Formats: sequence, C-alpha cells, structure tokens
Amino acid sequence: METRSNKDETEISKVDFDDSEIEYISYGGEHHLPLIMNLVDEELSEPYSIFTYRYFVYLWPHLSFLAFHKGKCVGTVVCKMGEHRSTFRGYIAMLVVIKPYRGRGIATELVTRSIKVMMESGCDEVTLEAEVTNKGALALYGRLGFIRAKRLFHYYLNGVDAFRLKLLFPRPELHTPLDSSDKYGSHIHSEHGDSRIEQ
Amino acid sequence: MAAFDRAADDAPTTVQSRPRIPSGDNSVWADVSPLLNAACQDLQEGDLIHGDNFNLFAAMSALEIMDPKMDSGMASTYYSLDEAIENGAAPVPISDDKTTDVRCIIDIMDHLLACEATWHKGHSLAQTVYSCLYLLRPERTSSHALLHSYCQLMRATCKAVLSVVADSRTHEEEDLFIMSYGLPLSGDGNERCLPLLNAVEETICRQLRACKTSSKRRVTEDIEPLQNNPDLEEGYCKALLCRLRFRKHFYHLLMSMKRPQGGGLELAREHIASCISEIAHIQKSSDFLRASAPEMSEKNIDNTTASGCQPIGFDASLNCRLSAPTPPRAIKIFCFEKALEYFVKLLHDLDIICSYSLDPSLEAALLFVVKFQKSQPDLVSRAHLQLLLVQNGKLFGRYPMFSMITRAAGLPEVAENHDIQKNEFMMQLEQMVVTLLKIICTNAAWQRRKLGKMLQDWRVTYVQLELAFKKEFGNTSSNENIGFKIFQHILVWVEEQTYWIAFRFLTVGFELELYSDHDYCMVYWYIYIVLINLAEKKHLRIGMSSGIGKKKTKKKRDSLKDAGMNYQISAAVKFLQSQIYLAEGLGMMLAALRNERRIFPPQSPFSTEHEIFIQQFELLLKACLPDGISYQTYKESTAQANFSTLVMCDYFKEAQKIAKELKSNFANDPEMMAELRRIELVAERNNIALTVISRLGTPDPSVKISFTLSHHPFFATAIVKRS
Repeated sequence: METRSNKDETEISKVDFDDSEIEYISYGGEHHLPLIMNLVDEELSEPYSIFTYRYFVYLWPHLSFLAFHKGKCVGTVVCKMGEHRSTFRGYIAMLVVIKPYRGRGIATELVTRSIKVMMESGCDEVTLEAEVTNKGALALYGRLGFIRAKRLFHYYLNGVDAFRLKLLFPRPELHTPLDSSDKYGSHIHSEHGDSRIEQ
Repeated sequence: MAAFDRAADDAPTTVQSRPRIPSGDNSVWADVSPLLNAACQDLQEGDLIHGDNFNLFAAMSALEIMDPKMDSGMASTYYSLDEAIENGAAPVPISDDKTTDVRCIIDIMDHLLACEATWHKGHSLAQTVYSCLYLLRPERTSSHALLHSYCQLMRATCKAVLSVVADSRTHEEEDLFIMSYGLPLSGDGNERCLPLLNAVEETICRQLRACKTSSKRRVTEDIEPLQNNPDLEEGYCKALLCRLRFRKHFYHLLMSMKRPQGGGLELAREHIASCISEIAHIQKSSDFLRASAPEMSEKNIDNTTASGCQPIGFDASLNCRLSAPTPPRAIKIFCFEKALEYFVKLLHDLDIICSYSLDPSLEAALLFVVKFQKSQPDLVSRAHLQLLLVQNGKLFGRYPMFSMITRAAGLPEVAENHDIQKNEFMMQLEQMVVTLLKIICTNAAWQRRKLGKMLQDWRVTYVQLELAFKKEFGNTSSNENIGFKIFQHILVWVEEQTYWIAFRFLTVGFELELYSDHDYCMVYWYIYIVLINLAEKKHLRIGMSSGIGKKKTKKKRDSLKDAGMNYQISAAVKFLQSQIYLAEGLGMMLAALRNERRIFPPQSPFSTEHEIFIQQFELLLKACLPDGISYQTYKESTAQANFSTLVMCDYFKEAQKIAKELKSNFANDPEMMAELRRIELVAERNNIALTVISRLGTPDPSVKISFTLSHHPFFATAIVKRS
C-alpha cells in the first residue's frame, strides 16, 4: 500500500479556507465508500478493487477517517491492525489529501487520529510503505516519529522503490528515569497545525 | 461485475468459433456461459459471494475483469498469438522487397536489444524480449536464415543469462527476472545456433566485399547482393554485421564466464572487448539507418531503434498474462541509446570481474566485492560475480572455505587440513562465510536486511565456538597444540568479521537513504563504537598472526620482510583509526549542535529518541554488538558535548593527519588513495565548520547548519550558511 500521488506536480490553485472549516469524521458506513474510492483512485498509482477497500473499512471502521470541507471530501486515511509475528501492529494502508488542500496539516491530522486509536488499542508499533520519491509523505511521517526501517527494491507496480516506515510506541518498562522528562503522547493534537506536506 | 456481464454477452460468438478443448480422462469440458449469465443477473457491481473459506481478506485478491489497471488477460489488439500471426502481425519474410526486409530486420534487432536491457533492469521477460512474436514461434522463421539465426541466438542468450541469475539467487526481490513460464527458451536449435549465425555472417561479409569491389572494378562476382539498392548495400551489410557480431561475442562471453573455477575469464575479456567495439560500430551505423529510413514509415515514439522506425512483430500485451499472477506492470522499453549505454556498463562491470586475480584470500575477495558494488552494478553482473566467488562451496571453486578461514585468521598452513574443520560449529562457520559472500553480491536493499539478520548468526556461532574451545582445552592459557591455536585465532577472526558486517550494515544505510538528518548523531556514534571494536579485533588478529610470522623468520633473520609486514599491518588498523576519529567527531559535533540548541530534532507526539534508537540498532543490540551498549550509554556519552570542548578535541584534525600519513602506504592502490583523499577532505571541511560554528557564540537563527554526503558515501560534511 502507499501514500503517493501519481499526478504531475504542476501548479495547483490552492483553496482558501480556515483550518476550523475542515471537519474530520470517522468512517460511517457504505455511503462513505465511494468517496474514499474516488480519492484513492485519483491520487494513488496502485490499482485497488472495491474488495480491498471493504476489507479495511469493514474490519477496522474505527481506524479510517475522512476530512470534509463544506461537504466535500478532501482527504482520507484507511488503516488496519492485527498480530504480526510476536507484535500487535497497526498498518496505514492509504492516506490521501487532494492537491488544493495540501500543506495545511490535514494529512497529519487524519493519520494522527488513526495512530492514536491504534495506540489506545494496544498496538506496539505502526508501519506503512511510501515511495522513496514521495518527499512530502516521508517528511510527514518523519515528524511523527517514523523511521525508515527498510528499503524495498522495485516495490510498486510502477517499478519505484519503497521505504518501509515504522513507528515504535514507547513501552513503559523500557524507560528509565532518564526519559521521564521526554513528554511523549502528551501533545498529540498540538502539532498538526504547523505540519506541511511539501509539494 | 457489470463489465463481466458485458463480456459474457459478447462471448458466445467468439467462444464457438474456437476449437473445442478435448476432455481428459476424468474431466469433461462444459459450457458455463448460461450459468454465468444467470449468476450475473443476480449480482450487482461490488457484490460479494460469501463462503466459509472466502472472507474479506481473500476477496482482496479479486481482480476486476476488464479494468486495464488489473486485468492482465484483457485482450487489447489480438486474443492470441495465432490470431496475431493470421492477421499478419509478424510476416516471414517481413517484406518481399529485400531492401525493406533488411531494414525491418535491423529494426527488430534494435528493439530486441532495447527489450533485453529493459529485462535485465528488472522487468519480466514475457513483456520485454518475448514481446517479439518471432521469438515465440521458433519454427516460423526457419525459412529466413538471417532472422532465424538471430532469433535462435537471442533465445539461447536469454536462457544463459536466466540460468546464471537463477543459479546465483541474487535476484531475490528482482524475481520478475527469472519468470519464464511458457516461453520458448530452449528451441531445438539452441546448440546449433552458432554455426547458422556464422554462415549468415560469412555470407554478408562476402556481400560487403562484393559491393565494395564491384563499385571500383565492376567485377561481377557470383554472389547475390543482400538487397536491391546498390547505393545502400554497403551500409546495410555493415549495420547487420556489427549487430550479428555483437550477439555472437556476447553469447561467447556468457559461455566463457560460465566455465568452472574462473577458467574462461581470460577468453571472456577478449569477447568483452569485441562486444564493446561492435557497440561502437552499431552506434556509427545510426546515421546511415536514420538517413535511409522511409519518410512515410510509422514513427517510433520510444526511440527503441537506430532508424527511428517502429519495429514490426512486437506485441507486449499478448503474453503479459504469462508474466506474473499480479497485475501487469507498466513497462517502458529503454530507448536505443539507453540500451546501448546499459550494455556498455554491463560489459565494463563484467570486465572488472574477469580481471580479478582470484587470489586465495577471503579478505581480498570481500574487499573486491565491496569495491565492485560501489559502482552500483546491475543484477546480471552481480549474479556472475557471485557464481564466480562460490562454486561447490569453495572460493572460486578452487579453495576449500576452511583453509580460506584459517588463512584469514592468520594461521600457518598446517592448520588448513586439520580435523577441527569437522567440528560442527566450524562447518557452520564455513556455511556462514559462503552465505556472506553471496549476500554481499545482492542489491543494497536486500543485502542490508540480510546482513542485519546475519549478525545474530555470527554472534551465536562465536559463542558456540568459544564453548567448544573451553570444553576441549579447559583453562590452559598457553598451549603449543595446533588445535588450541586454531580455535584461538578463529575466535578473534570471527569477532573481527562480525564487526566488519556490522560496519557494512550501518554504512549501507546511508546509500539506501534510511537515515534522516536527525538520526545522524546516533548513527555516527554507533559507527564509532563498532569501528573501535573492529580496529581492536583486527589489531589483535594481526598481532597474533605476525607472532607466528616472527617465529618463522627468526631463524632466517629476515627482519626486513618482517618489518615490512608489520608496516602494512599497522596501516590497516590506522586506516580504521582515521575513520574512528571522523565518526566520533561527527557524532560529537551533532550532539553539541543539539545540546546547544542549534538544531532541533522533531518532537514526535507518539515516541521519543529512545524508540528511534531501539529501532535503528535493534539487530545490533540483539546480537550484543558490543556487549552492554544501550540508549543510556549513548545519552551519557553525548550529553556533555559542546563546542568549546569539541574544538579542543581535534577529532577531525587527527583523522586528517592519519589519512595524510597513510598515503605513502597505499601509493600503489588508486582506490585507497581516493578513499584517503575523501576522508581528508571531509575531515578538513568539518574542522572548518566546527571552528566557524564555535566562533559564532550564541545560537544565531539566521545561520543554517546542514549535512551533505557529497564528499563521501557515508561520512557527512557540515555546511554552515547564513540565510
């Protein structure tokens, strides 16, 4: 899965809006499905059938979110979680924000909401794949604490390499008094405002 | 599903026109169209049939029929190869006009070369080389000697390359490369393909000679010209000859490299030289081919041919369903120029392999591969290198691994055949060395993952060997027993080798862009720790082996030789020292920048630097490389770093000094000289940056500090800029 736009990075006229006008909604049912599918089909390079979307949103509806501006769906995140070897792992399958709305922290807010649910559900870590050329996504996930764990050669159907990105949640037993000054998890919502997805 | 519906409606006419598939012993074929039609009435688009063994996860594997992004079976132009041939998509001869026929064959040859390069670069054989309809039906071209011989050799070449890559198993993630289901790779004529090609070449040679003489002396020789236009005869003869000869030498080259124990490397080099010179001729023929291309011909938008014309007889969509069970990949065939460039690089890389001395030395072999990998060689050359390195479990198929290990560990020759090699952990070690040699030939992404996993194996084997050693020899400290010595030396060598793998694991991360700038501090700090251990083990191992050397040479009083040996030895460790200073300097400089709040690492809402540290070095920490290292150690040793003390420490000046001094030791090694110059440069630049930053005093927001890898593949250089 991926978080990559396959459209030309041409000049896109930005929409003028206030951050407070963006409404974030958890996946609410079949009526949201066409909205998600349209966004992903438009913006990502990999082909997915309707069954791929259903797999995610039926089994983990609480991990998928949509962003609306004045009734129009402008972004979405689709995720899952489950056992992976000996860990409980969250996985970000798709993250999309349409071009005119990028650079305003919408993607960060969407993905932050999903990650927060994963953390509360007991996940040890979160992973995803992103194209090595997708600087915007790499920067976004870097700010959230993801590291590039692996490079996957020719991962995508279009022949581009991917990075496997990984976020490890803190485990209390690992933290000695030295870390107690580090405030993790305490400013989840404070950051999205200044996040930028580079174009 | 709606799309499928439509397909089913159209189906009957087409289905009935096709031959019936004969029933087998236990099966009868029945027409299911009515059943499918009825089922389609019941299902809406997106509906799913539920079943116990068909859940939401399984449903994801569904492909949407008639979606061009997913349905590889979707027919575009033709339904089958037969239909394409019936429709005249690949005529034999291509034209009754001999000039057109020759021109078209040259286009086919060029496009095939472009396809071949694209295949080598990791696309499926079915969608590249075997998009050529002439290759798919070997018997069809038999009446056309020129086309037939070229196609035969093409198939034989593909088969040879495929077997090298499959045998070496270097392809791993590039598994598309070896997929060849249902493709005619080994037609009957493969063994006889060279005589036919030679005969064709001979004929064209005579035609070329004939046209040259006839233009001067008008001697009518008893030979039919290649084609009808006397003005174009010479140009076409030449264009064909270099293409045929390239094929021939390339095939010979592959065969020579396949010979056991590197026995054909000399010969292979001759064929490489011939291939390179034929490529130059091919390039030279482009002007002629472009000039003689008919104006009306279909333009080749991808420029896959020298003439610029669209080749006849290719259809990538026909067998893309053979390529994989996955959706078809978007393939852009290389342009002709890029294909030639690819082959030139491949030939140069193969030439480097063929000119390797095959020294019976493990260390030399490992360093050779690391050096070879620097130019980022492609799959085909890496596969050849790997097959050369390890044959029948021996180095180059010649030297038993155990004797190579004892040599690397600095043991005398008597150790090479010692019974200790039958110890299960020694055998395990041999196997690990073989695996290591194979792994460092793979692409960097795969290599790093495998190296990381391997660290644990090396560590475990070390512990097992150590236990076996103690069991056998108890606590005796000094022992003249050769078995004792073998264990002692090999243990040190295993540790050294483990740190060498760890060092490579960490540095390849830079090449793969796995580290973000904010991780640099901990990465350099860890590299520094690994290098210190590597240098220590190397020093110990070299000391032990020179001890043996001394005993041997004592009698002869050959002190000069001994001194010379020691000199070389200390150079290897000294070289590590220069890198230790550089890594330590970079780690401390980055820590100081952070401590003095001149750079700000991102504050993740979900995790801390501790988690980043655990993830980055998980595999090293698991393998206890070294013992007792943790995030706390890192924090404690970097917490106090600041610019006022850093300037005094002179890490960069030391690195620069050592690199400078070492140059006299490596005057005959251009690669090492270049590496020393790089280290010197990085050290010098960083020292300047350090001085500038410390002079700035209080953090100045207009000053931007960044790091670049433009001077060295893994040692960064600081850049200080005022915005």
